Amino acid sequence: MTSLPEFCQWLQNTPWGTGIRESTWVFPIIEGTHTLAIALSVGTLLIVDLRLAGILMRREPVSQVSSQLMPWSVSGFAIMFVTGALLFMSQAAKAYGSVFFRIKVLLLVLAGINALVFELTLRRSIKTWDAAERPPIRARLAGALGIVLWAGVIAAGRTMAYNF
Amino acid sequence: MGVAIRNSHVMFPIIESLHLLALTVLLGSVIVLNLRLVGWGLRGQPLASVARSLAPLALWSLLAMLLTGGLLFTSEALKCYDNPPFLFKMAALFGAILFHWTAFRATVNSTRPAGTGRRLAVSAVSMTLWFSVAVAGRAIGFY
Repeated sequence: MTSLPEFCQWLQNTPWGTGIRESTWVFPIIEGTHTLAIALSVGTLLIVDLRLAGILMRREPVSQVSSQLMPWSVSGFAIMFVTGALLFMSQAAKAYGSVFFRIKVLLLVLAGINALVFELTLRRSIKTWDAAERPPIRARLAGALGIVLWAGVIAAGRTMAYNF
Repeated sequence: MGVAIRNSHVMFPIIESLHLLALTVLLGSVIVLNLRLVGWGLRGQPLASVARSLAPLALWSLLAMLLTGGLLFTSEALKCYDNPPFLFKMAALFGAILFHWTAFRATVNSTRPAGTGRRLAVSAVSMTLWFSVAVAGRAIGFY
């Protein structure tokens, strides 16, 4: 194994990769679970991001909305990641060659960076603006950016099914 | 218009992505409201206030989902017509909308808080119906 394409080829030829790809039921079940996990993870994250952007639940402290919903979002993300990895295993070579898969991975990385930057900077000063109906502009931007990036992840993921 | 959407390389995936985004927003608001209903999330906020905050989000995303879904259906009406997951999805959708704006809403808005058992039961029905819509929708393409 010397290159990424070869690794993808090897991955989808493993018993698991082949098994999922050729199954009648396993692939749709994993795909269905992946879709529901998106709704749980991104759906709950959306509410937190909307609060951060100063659009929804403005009377509630940001930290309250966040601490109550993020455990659900993170659990959904874990399911999404595991099912996503299994789907990738079964079609690794095709996914590797898909421009939409690459866009999706890029957007996921950007969403991760957006969240990390928020945790390392704004989260530290959250006490000073926690109850603000309109959080500081950088916090609102982080919320809006999170929504846009995740919408992009979903759209790119769905579009992977098409070959242009 | 149906032919145009079906034959366009770009339109169908775009509408389908919008459909999926609308579904994510709708399910997200339904999930969060259900979490509050059974007391597993947003416990610091009164149920009625959570419901009020989420209502516009749920309504607009449902309308967006119906509109984009209608466009997708127009382009594949014949394929959908005898597609079992599609028929199941329509039944689940009808049930979900009906339940959401009757029993579910009544429980959420009730002035006398409903008991734990009733909350759990209402929430279980609600989540089952909406999740069925999503899963059956995904299955249309597999069948």
